Amino acid sequence: MKDVLVIGGGVAGIQAALDLAEKGVKVHLVERTPSIGGRMAQLDKTFPTMDCSICILAPKMADCADHPNIIMHTCSEVAGLQGEAGDFRATVLKHARHVDASKCTGCGKCAEVCRLKGRIPNEFDFGLRKRGAIYLPFLQAVPRVMNIDSKKCIFLTKGKCGEKQLCKEACERGAIDFDQKDETVTLDVGAVIVATGFDLFDPSGMFEYGYGRFQNVRTAMEYERLICASGPTGGHLEVEPTKEHPGSMAFIQCVGARDLRLSPFCCSVCCMYATKEAVLVKEHYPDTDCTIFNVDMRALGKGFEEFVERARDEYGVRFLRARPGQVTEDPATKRLTVWYEDPASGKVTSMEADMVVLATALVPGAGVAQLAKALGIELDESAFFKVRDPLMSPVESTRPGVFIAGYCETPKDIPESVAQASGAAARAFEVLKRKGGAAHA
Amino acid sequence: MAADEAKQKLDGLIKKTGAFDCVECGKCTSLCPITKEDPNFAPRLIVVKALEGMAEQVAGARDIWVCLTCARCSAKCPYKVNYTEFIRGMRETARKGGVAPACSEGGLMNSLAGLMTKPDLGQNRLGWLEEGMKVAEKGQYLLFTGCTPYLNVIFGEKDDRVLEGTKAAVRILNKLGITPVVSADERCCGHDQYWAGDRETFEKLARLNIEWIKSTGAKTVLATCPECFRALTKDYQKVDPDFDIEVLHISEFLCDQLEDGKLKLTKEVPETVTYHDGCRLARHIGVVDEPRMLLEKVPGLKMAEMESAGDESACCGVSALMNCDNTSKSIQLRRLKEAKATGASRMLAFCPKCRIHFKCARTGNLPFPKEEVDIDVVDFLTVLDRAI
Repeated sequence: MKDVLVIGGGVAGIQAALDLAEKGVKVHLVERTPSIGGRMAQLDKTFPTMDCSICILAPKMADCADHPNIIMHTCSEVAGLQGEAGDFRATVLKHARHVDASKCTGCGKCAEVCRLKGRIPNEFDFGLRKRGAIYLPFLQAVPRVMNIDSKKCIFLTKGKCGEKQLCKEACERGAIDFDQKDETVTLDVGAVIVATGFDLFDPSGMFEYGYGRFQNVRTAMEYERLICASGPTGGHLEVEPTKEHPGSMAFIQCVGARDLRLSPFCCSVCCMYATKEAVLVKEHYPDTDCTIFNVDMRALGKGFEEFVERARDEYGVRFLRARPGQVTEDPATKRLTVWYEDPASGKVTSMEADMVVLATALVPGAGVAQLAKALGIELDESAFFKVRDPLMSPVESTRPGVFIAGYCETPKDIPESVAQASGAAARAFEVLKRKGGAAHA
Repeated sequence: MAADEAKQKLDGLIKKTGAFDCVECGKCTSLCPITKEDPNFAPRLIVVKALEGMAEQVAGARDIWVCLTCARCSAKCPYKVNYTEFIRGMRETARKGGVAPACSEGGLMNSLAGLMTKPDLGQNRLGWLEEGMKVAEKGQYLLFTGCTPYLNVIFGEKDDRVLEGTKAAVRILNKLGITPVVSADERCCGHDQYWAGDRETFEKLARLNIEWIKSTGAKTVLATCPECFRALTKDYQKVDPDFDIEVLHISEFLCDQLEDGKLKLTKEVPETVTYHDGCRLARHIGVVDEPRMLLEKVPGLKMAEMESAGDESACCGVSALMNCDNTSKSIQLRRLKEAKATGASRMLAFCPKCRIHFKCARTGNLPFPKEEVDIDVVDFLTVLDRAI
């Protein structure tokens, strides 16, 4: 039986890979960044159960690494796909990591001595923590292999790094390899599963909310890192410049979403994650006031409405139906004021907040057009991958043998992404079966 | 006007402006510059009343005259409701029903505009031309001077340099080897009448101006005032769909000249300035980059942006010379504070009315030390003129 190519190492890609690997199919899991895990790895808790997100995901990530049928290609991108269902040839561009994965243990001694240590904004924490040019993407990264940022590394950009390369000297196993080159490999696969997830809308263009101008305006994903025990502040929510925990918080929903000028669609998860985030504040600091400014609450999953009611009744989270027009800052204290139309009186009202969290839109990834072209599949009008028939074949792309799973198909939450991934894996398996051949044992 | 006629007009307006798409989120109300000073005002509630079929109530309401039509709400509405146009349309309906706004300065400017609708009017509006300035009755480029000669008479006490920008425009064009058409036959552009719902006067003025512009043989009309520019580019076409002569804002034209190497900014202007985008220029039309590109090329000049700039710019607080009150004054003073906070020595603006309003706001008793708003407001082109 042929192999399967899974593109995207988030929770959907991981699930699809594990499902197929368990069936005895060999899977190539291609991930653009240095580690699998995706967005779920960056979340603190999941709604509505308040489970620790990484605690659920990390074992699955480790399973991928350990599974004899899964070959991970990190720092890699798919550049082309020839052939037809059951008999594809995929071109995969593997960017040099400059670290030999077979030797590196991820001990981090190299990172300790890097001359750029603590100077480069770390992607995983949205720049809230700084890393060096050689780094482990995050604590639970899989594979646990260091990565060199070739655009920043002094040696790789200038050809010289002080007297000697400190990282190379620090590595006891000789894993650092500056001569490693990008390479292109061709994979023979029977089916492809696309699970590339989403990008985050950058709210700095929405002047009215002050993101980028006011320190205490955060995006929801930044907030996830700040409230996370393994995050940059150890889970302590700190307000600038006092470093005290907030006495009052405002969550603004639909920032860049359900907006005909930006993204017209509903991202489907923000009402629930904002509720979760407000509950988290209340669990950390019961006295902190939390207000969620929403256009309307969309709590339509199992146990979701009950969760919102608990947030309101047990935790005292305030839900206000309004889209604030403006956030202003007192330059002296850095305290924020949120201006909104009070739904009861119709009059402009304001509330003071120590921190404002923007539920920014989750939008199709920046590279989807290029990937769609490389794979020969179509996008819909919102730049999500188009399915052949939204009713009867919701995992099939417009090209036979190529399947879609997770948020990159349409907005959905984690369990829906996982379910769709399993569906895509099952359909991919059918393609392989039709072509026949023995499975990898 | 009969109730059913008002209703019909309202239905058309709701359709045209997308008012039915309003989801009542209140974003417009909470970013409106007026509501923070006057909490009883709410652009959204005007639309809600309209949607509920209360046409006559809306037309009779004070709120439709309070709106500055600055378009902040329309620019930010997630459902693209064109509130600004809705308000303007309602004003037309209200006018027909006999409701008119109260104009500032006794409505003097409005009366002048009315006088200018006379076809055989002989205006004496070129007295400001200085010796050596070259202008013509016919030519390729037409400089639309706007109301500055009249504003100078009426508001001279508040701003004795109203005409400086107009003069600078002529000087700059002359330096570029251009003899612009400047004529006593120019009429008020009708902007204020259009926005005050006086469609009849606006159309008369527009027709006279179009006729005059065509008679000069001009290929390109250059406007300095953002209000004239808006009328000439967006609204005259509603009166005469065949009016297709190129209209440029002078900043766009000068940018082109700069790129072609014809405009040379060589003289040092060693000072720091800030720039106030008028709502018509930046939000209604979207001319934001050109003025900045010009300032960037002036040797020695530093440009310090205000907190709200470009299409996010705060308003001057008065629109169509209609609603000057305490709310206006608060909005103006807030803007002046922004300007002063940049550390700039002067605030530049194209719009003569913005300049007059800002200068007016600084006079009289202030609820805070005068230093906080003590910044001079001058025409944009005067700085450019010094640099050539």
